[in-house]
Parts: sequence; C-alpha cells; structure tokens
Amino acid sequence: MSESRTFRLQRAMASLILDDEPEDIGAPAERLGLPAGDPQAFRDQPEAMDLYRELARLSLTEPLETTFPVLKALLEGAEVWEDCAQAFLSARVVRSTHYRDIAPSFLGWLVDTGWGQDRWPFLAELAHAELLEVLVARFPEADLRQDLHDEPGPGDVVWLDPGTQVVAYAHAVHRATEAAPVPEARPTHLLAFRDEEGEARVLELTAATATLLVQARTRPLAESAAALGLSDPAPALALLRDLRRQGAVLGFRAPH
Amino acid sequence: MAQGRSPGSFQGVGLGLRRAHLDEVAAREDHGVPFWETCPENLIGDGGRHHRLASAILDRDPVLTHGLAISLGGFDPWDGDYLRELDRFLVRAGTPWHSEHLCFTGVDGSCLHELLPLPFTHEAARHTIARARDLQARLPVPLLLENITYYAHLGEPEMDEAAFIAEVLEGADVGWLLDVNNVYVNALNFGFDPKAWLTRMPLDRVAQIHIAGHKKFGSITVDTHGADVIDPVIELMQWTLARLGRPAPVLLERDNHIPDFGDLLAERARIQAAYDAALAPAKTEAAPAEVVRV
Ligand SMILES: [Fe+2]
Repeated sequence: MSESRTFRLQRAMASLILDDEPEDIGAPAERLGLPAGDPQAFRDQPEAMDLYRELARLSLTEPLETTFPVLKALLEGAEVWEDCAQAFLSARVVRSTHYRDIAPSFLGWLVDTGWGQDRWPFLAELAHAELLEVLVARFPEADLRQDLHDEPGPGDVVWLDPGTQVVAYAHAVHRATEAAPVPEARPTHLLAFRDEEGEARVLELTAATATLLVQARTRPLAESAAALGLSDPAPALALLRDLRRQGAVLGFRAPH
Repeated sequence: MAQGRSPGSFQGVGLGLRRAHLDEVAAREDHGVPFWETCPENLIGDGGRHHRLASAILDRDPVLTHGLAISLGGFDPWDGDYLRELDRFLVRAGTPWHSEHLCFTGVDGSCLHELLPLPFTHEAARHTIARARDLQARLPVPLLLENITYYAHLGEPEMDEAAFIAEVLEGADVGWLLDVNNVYVNALNFGFDPKAWLTRMPLDRVAQIHIAGHKKFGSITVDTHGADVIDPVIELMQWTLARLGRPAPVLLERDNHIPDFGDLLAERARIQAAYDAALAPAKTEAAPAEVVRV
C-alpha cells in the first residue's frame, strides 16, 4: 500500500515543495517510478506547481519570520536566510499537526544540526531567546494547588509557575536587535514568566539569584542560600515575595 | 458547557473565532453571531490568555469544529494522542459534527501545513474512503468532509473533481461541508460552470456551507480568505440554499487581512440578509434577480 501510485504522487508533491527547486518539474515524479502521464501532468502545470511550492513554503516559513526576527535579520545580512530556510525545509522536521509547533521544531533542528554555528556560535541561544516569550505566554495552565502559601519561610521550597523558565546563556542574546543582531559574549541568566495579565515578561538575574531559584525548588530556602554563601537571606526572600506577586512564583511550601 | 447541541439549532451565518477578536467576543454576549467555528489543532494543548478567552467563549456560545492538518487522504497513521484529545474537545464543545478537508497535508510523517489536492483517481478515492471510514469510527460525532480549492491536478486524472468528491462522500457515507467559494474558485481556474457542477453532486449530504473571499495571483485565483465575499459567490450560496430548501448553517471564513470586529459583523450581517432572502418562501417568487428560484 505504501508504494501505491497515490502515495508516490503525494511524495512527489512533498519533494516539489520542500526540496531544492528541480530543473525539471516532473523529475520528482519520474524518480518515484510513476507512469509517464504523471510526471507529464506536473510538467503541464508549471504555474500551478510553482504556486503550490510558494504557498506551502510560506506556510512553513512564516512562523519562523514572525518568531525569529532577529535571527532572520542576522542571516539576511549575511545573505544566507534562504539557505537556512531551505536546509530546514529539506530536513522535514515539522512533525506536529499544531501550527504553533513549527517555530519550536526550527529551534530543535538548529540545536540538532548545529547549522550556522561555526560562524555564529550563539545562533541556537538567540533562537531560544526569541522563542522563549512565546512559549512562556502560551504554556498550559497549572491546576490550582492547595498546599502553597504566599510567605516564604526559611524551611520552604519554591514552587514556580510551570510556565516560568530560568535560562542561562553564554551570550547576552536577549539584548540583540534586528539592527544589532550580534550579541555580546557574556554569561547571561534570564527569568521568563507570565504576569497577571498573561503577558510574557523577561528579567535578567544575577548568577547567584538564578542558582538560588533553581536550587530552592528542591532544597529549603535557607539551605540553598547558605550553599551559595549568602549570609543574609533577607534580600533573596524579598525578591521571592516580589516574584510571587508578579506571577513567576506560584507559592511556597514545606518540602516533602 | 455547551454539551449536546442538536444539529438543527445551527442556522444562519456564523464566523470563525479569531485571535484578534477574542477580547471583544468574550466581553459582549450580544454579538449576534449564531455560532462560531474553531480549529481544534489551534486550541488543544495550548495555554495562556488567548486560550483562556477562547475556551470561555466556546463554553458559552454554540460552536462547530473544523480540522486543518489531519491529512485525511494521506498515508501517515493517525496521531493517537491527538485523537484522544480531539474526542474530549468535540464532546466539550458540544459540536453536532466535525469537519476535515478532502485533501492531504502530510507525507512520511512530515507535516506540510497546506491543503494539498488528492489525485482524482479510483485508487485515491478508495484510499480516502477507507481513511474517512476509519476516522469516522474514532470520532464521537459525525464527520463532514470539505471540498478544497485546487490549482493543479496531482498526476494524470481518471475523473473530474465532481466525480471524485461524489465517489468519496458516497463511499465513506459522510456528510459534506460544501465550500461554495471553493467551487467558484475552481470553476474560474478550470473553466466550468459552478451550478452545473453542483447539480451533479449529492446535495442531500450537505450539512454545512463555507463562504469566503478570494484573490487572483497571475492567471490563478487563490482561496485567500482575505477579502470580502463577492456577489457571485453570495449568489451561488443563495442558489444552493434554495436548492437545499433548508437552513444549512453557513460559515463566513476570514483568515487573512482580518478586519475590525465591527466590520466583520457588518459583513456577516450582509451575508445573513442574503441567507434569509434565499430561504424565505414568500419572497422566492418576488425575489430580486440575484435570488434564484428553485
Ligand atoms: Fe472552507
């Protein structure tokens, strides 16, 4: 069944859309061993086939252009954006039927293949930072928890909102812009979360605060602070109270 | 919850629920839109503010569901997790049916996110019938299939589009989501008469109608869902409704160049007036020229 004519015709169409533009529009169908009338049908409808190629490629690349404008500006500046998009399409890594998963699949492809990262070692970080706010904004809501309180105690652990992300980059990718898309190389810690209005927000953290936030998810606050050499936990507690008010932290509870 | 609305309670002209309008739709219950159409792929597994607003609207108002990327005529296995979620979604939405496109959208596990035409062959029809029957068996509500716009024949055809669609609808024994704009656009691109085409079709299977705007690119007219509906398409909708002689729900699709909510409501009201005129028995005799008598 998988070698049926219908299946091979669909494969030929996919090739025409995703692969490098063939010199002969009938070539993909011919390669698949379809009867002569089929490659001929492709050749007889060049304008329509071009239109399909254009429409379908646009469907797949439009989410990249809107999600990764800085990355696109960087690659366009080097005249390789088209190459990047072509390599991504040829790899056929969009496996999800959810349209919103196209941009994350691009990031996954970038990380897996290392595309362009000889020249731009920060490329995957940049893409991650551009996607971060989108992912945080639409992260599925958590069920309400009854076991959390609002005031952090020294023996408590921190319970982050499930959409909250603490990320570490080797470059200040969050400061890159379309006009200046090359980020400074310096260790960068970010907290991305959803505020009460549901908008994504990004705060830059010190390395110590970022580590505290990660550690205190499983280890009591006082212990986490001491391990980091923070003699006075008061500023950290004040920050955590503030993050709870803003929505990044859901609350605090005694460890199990 | 909107559970278990009967098919007959869906009448008139509804709208697609669009992100840009969620705040306004959620805020005003008096929007006058008889029902919404929504795409489960865009809501299942999503979260955040827009998702919350959309879910609240769908719990409050009548809704029809319309899938985009299941690849009905394709060869990839169904995504079992998605089908389980879809089942829950359809039941919660209370939709009387669920529609998918008569096309393929993926090959070899890769999703193309484009409605691509099936070959008009007996083999493709048999395959699509088997897939539709299999999908129907997994859904909690009746399945409708929608005729798409196509710009090219995929391979050498053995029949024309009308014969292919009729063969699939009859063979799969499913309902039809008749997109009159797609018929009109295909008629322009392939040079046939849309009414003669419709006359050959199993209109008794029509459960829902789509109407939309389109645009010409080069020598090909494309189903963009990005412009106002032109009069000949409205007239084709009226002709179809008059032939059906029953108030099948019409859905106005608008996915690009989305106007302000107020303007979209005005466009909906214009099409609703044409809908009412087409179905008013007393008016049929005295109807203006553009309302065709049965
Ligand atoms: Fe449609």
